[in-house]
Amino acid sequence: MPATASHVRRAAKRLFRWCVVNDRLQEERARAVMQEILKSKRRGFITLLSEFKRLLTIEVAKHTARIDSAVLLEIDQQTRIKDGLERAYGEGIDSQFSQNPDLIGGIRIQISSDVYDGTVRARLVALGASFGIRSA
Amino acid sequence: MNALILLIPAQSGGQVQQIAETFGVDWPHLVAQIISFCIVCFLLHRFAYKPVLQILAQRRQLIAEDVANREKIKAELEQAETERRRIMLEADAKATKVIEEAHAAAARLLEHETQKAVSVAEQVIAKAKEAALLEHDRMLAELKREIGILVIEATASITRKMLTADDQRRMAEETINSLARAA
Repeated sequence: MPATASHVRRAAKRLFRWCVVNDRLQEERARAVMQEILKSKRRGFITLLSEFKRLLTIEVAKHTARIDSAVLLEIDQQTRIKDGLERAYGEGIDSQFSQNPDLIGGIRIQISSDVYDGTVRARLVALGASFGIRSA
Repeated sequence: MNALILLIPAQSGGQVQQIAETFGVDWPHLVAQIISFCIVCFLLHRFAYKPVLQILAQRRQLIAEDVANREKIKAELEQAETERRRIMLEADAKATKVIEEAHAAAARLLEHETQKAVSVAEQVIAKAKEAALLEHDRMLAELKREIGILVIEATASITRKMLTADDQRRMAEETINSLARAA
């Protein structure tokens, strides 16, 4: 079991690559890796587990889209959003829809670091910025 | 006198003798008195008049010296008075010069201090103006912020009440279309 931080990072990256097949994270492999790390209980296994978890979190965030809307979206709208996300970011995007009345109107889509914000709240925030208000 | 008497001719000797007898002249007695008188004169001259005269001469010399000294002192006094006047005039001139220099220095100092005070006052005024401008800007920004908050809250409240289902759908469509364009 590696001991130094760089060794831990390299090992975690190797294990993570083994879990990714055809640019898709294999959840079974990831679970198996984590169970093996926990079973081993060698020196530095907690650090290795933390690094592996961090890589998994980044990968999951890349393929997870959060869609917030002021009112519940219709089925065809949800379908069109999923299609649009898969066309833009590839297959296997996990879309999570939620209702947030604070947005007042419109929808907000966030995937990884990309944001598509057409909400009234976002426009009010922009208007507040012009008045010198940091958050509306 | 005795010689004069002896020189009288013999024919007139009798008359002189007669006159002397008439006035009661006793020749031996007269001669003795004359000798006594001469001795007295000699003694007076020797022991009285001479010392007195010497003393008088010394007094006269002392008086002359005193007079000379007085003249000398008077001259020295006059010279001292002249010197004093000259010194007083010089001192007066120096004092006048010093006073004039003091006046000039005071005027320069007053001018310098005045300029300094004016400079300080200008700086204070400039700082006050700057502070007033900053305060004005801060108040404007605060007012703008307060107005902005009111506008945003009012807009949010009104928009929340006025948005219909069609508006919600239309707004969602706009975002979906922008996602489609990005794809």
